[in-house]
Amino acid sequence: MANSKAPTSATIRMYNVGFGDCFLLTFHYPKGDRYMLVDYGSTAGPKNGPKNYMEQVGKDIAAQCKGKLDIVVATHRHRDHISGFSTEAGTGKIIASLKPDHVIQPWTEDPKAKTNAVTATSSVYTNGKPDPQKMTAHFLGSLDDMRRVADGVVRFSQNVKAAGADTREQLRFLGEDNLTNLSAVKNLMDMGKKGKAYYVNAGMALNSLLPGVKITVLGPPTLKQTDAIRKEKSKDANEFWQFRSFWASQGLAAARALPDGHALFRQKASRGKKAPRNPVPPPSVRWFLQKSREIHADQMLQLVRDLDSVMNNTSVILLFEIGKTKLLFPGDAQIENWSFALNNPDWTKLLADVNVYKVGHHGSLNATPKSLWKLFNNKGSEHKHGRLETLCSTKAGKHGSVRSGTEVPRSLLVKELEKDSDFATTERYVKQIARDFQIDF
Amino acid sequence: MPYYPTRKLTILALDPSVKYQNKILRYQIEIPNELLDPGPRGYRVHVVDYDSTEDSFHGPVEIPVHLDSSGVPKDPFEGKSDAALLKDAGFHAWMTYGIIMKTLARFEYALGRRISWSFGSHQIQVAPHAFADANAFYSDQARGLYFGYFPSADGKRRIFSCLSHEIVAHETTHALLDGLRERYTDPSSPQQAGFHEGFADIIALLSILSAPSVVERVVDLGVPGAKGESIRRSDLSPDALRNSGLLGLAQEMGSELAAVHGQALRRSVTLEKRSDYLTSGSKNEAHDCGEILVAAVLNAYLEVWVYRLKAIGDDEKLDRARAAEEGAELAERLLTVCVRAIDYCPPTDIEFSDFASALLTADWELNPNDAKYDLRAKLYTAFREYGIHPRSKGGTGHREKGTWDPPPEEFCYDRTHFDSMKSDPDELFRFLWENQRLFKLHDQAYTRVLSVRPCLRVGRDGFTLRETVAEYHQQLTMFASELKRLGVIKPPAMPDDTEVTLYGGNAVIFDEYGHVKYNIGKSIMDEKRQTKRLAYLWDQGAFERGASKMRGFSRVHLRRSTDWYRSVSAGKE
Repeated sequence: MANSKAPTSATIRMYNVGFGDCFLLTFHYPKGDRYMLVDYGSTAGPKNGPKNYMEQVGKDIAAQCKGKLDIVVATHRHRDHISGFSTEAGTGKIIASLKPDHVIQPWTEDPKAKTNAVTATSSVYTNGKPDPQKMTAHFLGSLDDMRRVADGVVRFSQNVKAAGADTREQLRFLGEDNLTNLSAVKNLMDMGKKGKAYYVNAGMALNSLLPGVKITVLGPPTLKQTDAIRKEKSKDANEFWQFRSFWASQGLAAARALPDGHALFRQKASRGKKAPRNPVPPPSVRWFLQKSREIHADQMLQLVRDLDSVMNNTSVILLFEIGKTKLLFPGDAQIENWSFALNNPDWTKLLADVNVYKVGHHGSLNATPKSLWKLFNNKGSEHKHGRLETLCSTKAGKHGSVRSGTEVPRSLLVKELEKDSDFATTERYVKQIARDFQIDF
Repeated sequence: MPYYPTRKLTILALDPSVKYQNKILRYQIEIPNELLDPGPRGYRVHVVDYDSTEDSFHGPVEIPVHLDSSGVPKDPFEGKSDAALLKDAGFHAWMTYGIIMKTLARFEYALGRRISWSFGSHQIQVAPHAFADANAFYSDQARGLYFGYFPSADGKRRIFSCLSHEIVAHETTHALLDGLRERYTDPSSPQQAGFHEGFADIIALLSILSAPSVVERVVDLGVPGAKGESIRRSDLSPDALRNSGLLGLAQEMGSELAAVHGQALRRSVTLEKRSDYLTSGSKNEAHDCGEILVAAVLNAYLEVWVYRLKAIGDDEKLDRARAAEEGAELAERLLTVCVRAIDYCPPTDIEFSDFASALLTADWELNPNDAKYDLRAKLYTAFREYGIHPRSKGGTGHREKGTWDPPPEEFCYDRTHFDSMKSDPDELFRFLWENQRLFKLHDQAYTRVLSVRPCLRVGRDGFTLRETVAEYHQQLTMFASELKRLGVIKPPAMPDDTEVTLYGGNAVIFDEYGHVKYNIGKSIMDEKRQTKRLAYLWDQGAFERGASKMRGFSRVHLRRSTDWYRSVSAGKE
C-alpha cells in the first residue's frame, strides 16, 4: 500500500447475538491494531445459546480489543442494537471499562438538541414559514411520543385476552424494541462525555478517527436534508403537523395522561363500600367484544410497525473507504433514510463498488432498497473475482410474518443475497459466539 | 297502548365545544320509536360500550320507562346540565344511538325502503368508547362502528369522538353506503375511495344543516356584533357563510376533533375553485379527493341558500328564524336527493362525474320543477368549477343537461315475468341473460345480481309510482398476460402471472311497466378505464404480497396521519 499509515487489513467479527447486531471491526496497522464496535444489542438470544450470551460477548469484545476500544458506534436507539450498553444488565459496564475515545450516534440522540423541549401545541412556524429548527425539535418530540406508545403496546400485549398468541408476541417484541432503553442511552452519553461524542447526520466526514480510513456518513439525513428531496413540498408543513399531533395524541393516550388516569366511567367507591365492578358482558355482545379486541390489536400492530420504521430510519449509515476497499454499515436504515443518499450521484458512484455490505435491518426487505442493491457492481456468481461479501446478523421467527410478506429475514432477499454474494448469516453458526471475516486491503 | 311512531332525544348540536351563551348548543332530534332493550339495543342498532384499550365493558344502559301523560317515552336528558351530560356514559351511548337511527331514518325516507347493512345482520353494533385513540371507523368485518376517545393536546381533558354529531353521522354514512353499494370498498380509482369519504362528509354536514334551531344559532356565532332576532345580510354572503361557524369551525375542540377525520368537513367548502384537481393527481389520498366533491356540493348549497335569502328581509337585516329555516329546508332537500342519487350510481368503479349525473337525475325525477331553488343549474356549475363533468351530456328532448339518458337499447322482455322481477334476483338474472349483449356482459366473468329492490315514490302528478331498482356486478379474474386480449394494457413492470381482477356492473331502474328506464353502469369491457385503474393500483402497491385486498377504514386514518413521513421515499421501490 502506498500510504504507510493506513491499515493493511481488517477483521470483521460478527457476533452471534440472536436477533440483534454486534460487530467488532479490527483495523490492522503495521504498528498495532485499532478497534471499533458497531452496535451491541439483542432482543432474542441465539438458538440453544447460553443464558448469559450477552455477557460472554461483552467479555470477548474486551479480550479481543485487549481492554481498549477506539470507537463505539450505536447506530440507533433500538434495543436489538444497544441493549448491551445498558449498565443495568451489567454488560454496559464492560464496554464503559474499555474507555472508547469516540462515540458515534445519530443526530437524533444529541442531548443538546432536546433542551428546547416542545409541546405538541407550540407552532412550527416562524414569520409564517415552517421553521426547520422548530420542526426538528418537534420531530424529536415525536420520537419520544413513539417510545411512550411502545410502552402502551407492551402493556397491551400482556393482556392474554387482547389478541391471539402470535399477534401478542409480535406486539411485545416490537414494543420492547422501541422502549426508551434509558440505561443504555445514559451509558452511551457518559462514554461520549469521557471521550468525544459525535452526533452525526448525512454528509459528515469522520476521516480523522482512524488513519488511512475515510468514513463518510450517508445517513440519517436531517429534516432539512430530507425536505430537499421531498416530492410535494407545499403540503409539507400541514402534513408534518398531522404527523406530529398524531403521535402526540397517541403518546398521551398510551401514557394515560389524563386527570383521572384510565378510570373512564369507572364507578368510584363510596363510603364503606367497594367500587361496583363492571358487569360481566352478556352473551349477546361477546362476539363483538372478541372482534373489537382483534381490530384493536391490529391497529396497535400497525402503529408499532410504523413507529418501528421511523426509529430504524434514524440509523447511522457509515461508508468506510480504505484504499480501494469499501465497507458499508447501514444499521437498520430503511428507504426513507436511504433516499437522501441515493439521491446523491457522488454517493451512488461510491456505493457502486462496495466490497462488504452489512445487510440492513437483519435482512428485512425494505432495509435493502432495490435501488441500492442494483448499484452494487461486485455482486455476481460464485466465480466472480472480488465478489461482494454480505454479512447478516439475524434470527428468523421474531419479526414480521411470512403470511404478510414481512418476515425477517425476508426469504426473497436471502435468496438474492445467496445467489449474488458471499453471504454469511449468524443463523448458520449457532454454536460459535462469533465468526471472523478477514478483509485485505 | 297507543302507538307513537317517533320519540324525542336530546343530543349535542355539533360537539361539546360549540356553545351559545356559555351553554353547549343542543337540540332534540326525532327518531323512530321502537321497543328498546338495555344498551340501548333496538332493531337496527345495538350499543355495546366496550373499551378495547382498557378491556372494560361499561355495561348496557338501562332504558328508563318514563312516559309522559300521553304515553310517549320521555327524553331522558331534557333539562340536564352540561356537566351531567358530558360525564354520563349513558348519554354518550344514547346520543350515538340517536344519531345513527336518525341517519338511517333519513336514508330510508329518501329511498322509500328499508336499508340493509352490508354484512347481513339486522343490527349494527356500536362501541361509543371503543379505544383510546383519535380514530373512529366503520368495520364491516366486525359489523360495527367504533368511536375512540383521546386526551386533548394539553392532556387536561378527554375528547370523545362519539359526542361529535358530525363524526357519528359520517361513520354511519359509511356503513349505510356500504349497505347500498357493497363494491365501493373494492380497490379502484382514487375517486372511489374518495367518494366514500366525500359522501359521508356531505351527509354529515347536511344533517347538521337541516336542523333550523342549530343553523339559527351557529350561522353567525362568534361574529362580532351579531345578536338578536335578526341577522345582518352581510353575515349571510357566500363568503361569510363559508367561514361561518356552520362550515368553518375553528374552535379549539373543533381542531382537536379534526384529528379524527382531518380538516375536510370543516374546510372543504373553502377549497379554491380549480378544474384540475382530479386530473393532476395531487389529491389522490381518500380524504383529499373526497374534499373536492364536498366542495362542489356545498358551494352549490350556499349559492342556492343566499339566492333564496334575497326574497326575505331588507337590505340590512333578515329575520333569524326565517333565514335558518330556508337553509335547513334546502339542506333537507339536498340530503334527500344525495341519498336518492345512490340508486342512480354505477355499482362499481364510481367516479365523481357518475355521481354528478346521478344527483342531477335524482333531483330531476323527484323535483321536476326547480324554479324555486334553481338547484340543478347551480349544482351543474359548481361541479364543473371543480372539474367534475357530469358523465352524461343529457339535454336531449325534454331532458336536462347532465342527467342520465334513457337506454337506447330495445331489451327483450318476453322471456321473463315482471312480477317476479320486482323482487327475485334469479328472475332478474334471467333478464340479464337474455339481454347479455345489450348489457355488454362479458361471457367469461362471474355475474351476480346484488339486489332487487322495489321502490315507491310519488310521481309528478301526485300518483304513487312503483319502480324497481336492481344492481348487478361482474368480476373477471385473469392473468396479467391475458389482459391484452381485452385490449387492456398491463402496467409495464407487472409480472405476467399476476392475478388481476376486473370489475363491472350496472344499476338498472325499471319503470312501473317493468321497462328499463335507466341503465347506468360500467362494463368490464372498457379498455381505457381498466388500463387506467390497473396503472393506478400498481403504482399504489396494491399487487404486492401482503397488501390487503381491501384497506379497512381503520387504516386510512393511520396512513393519512403518517403521510408526511412517507412522502419522502423516492418513488416506488
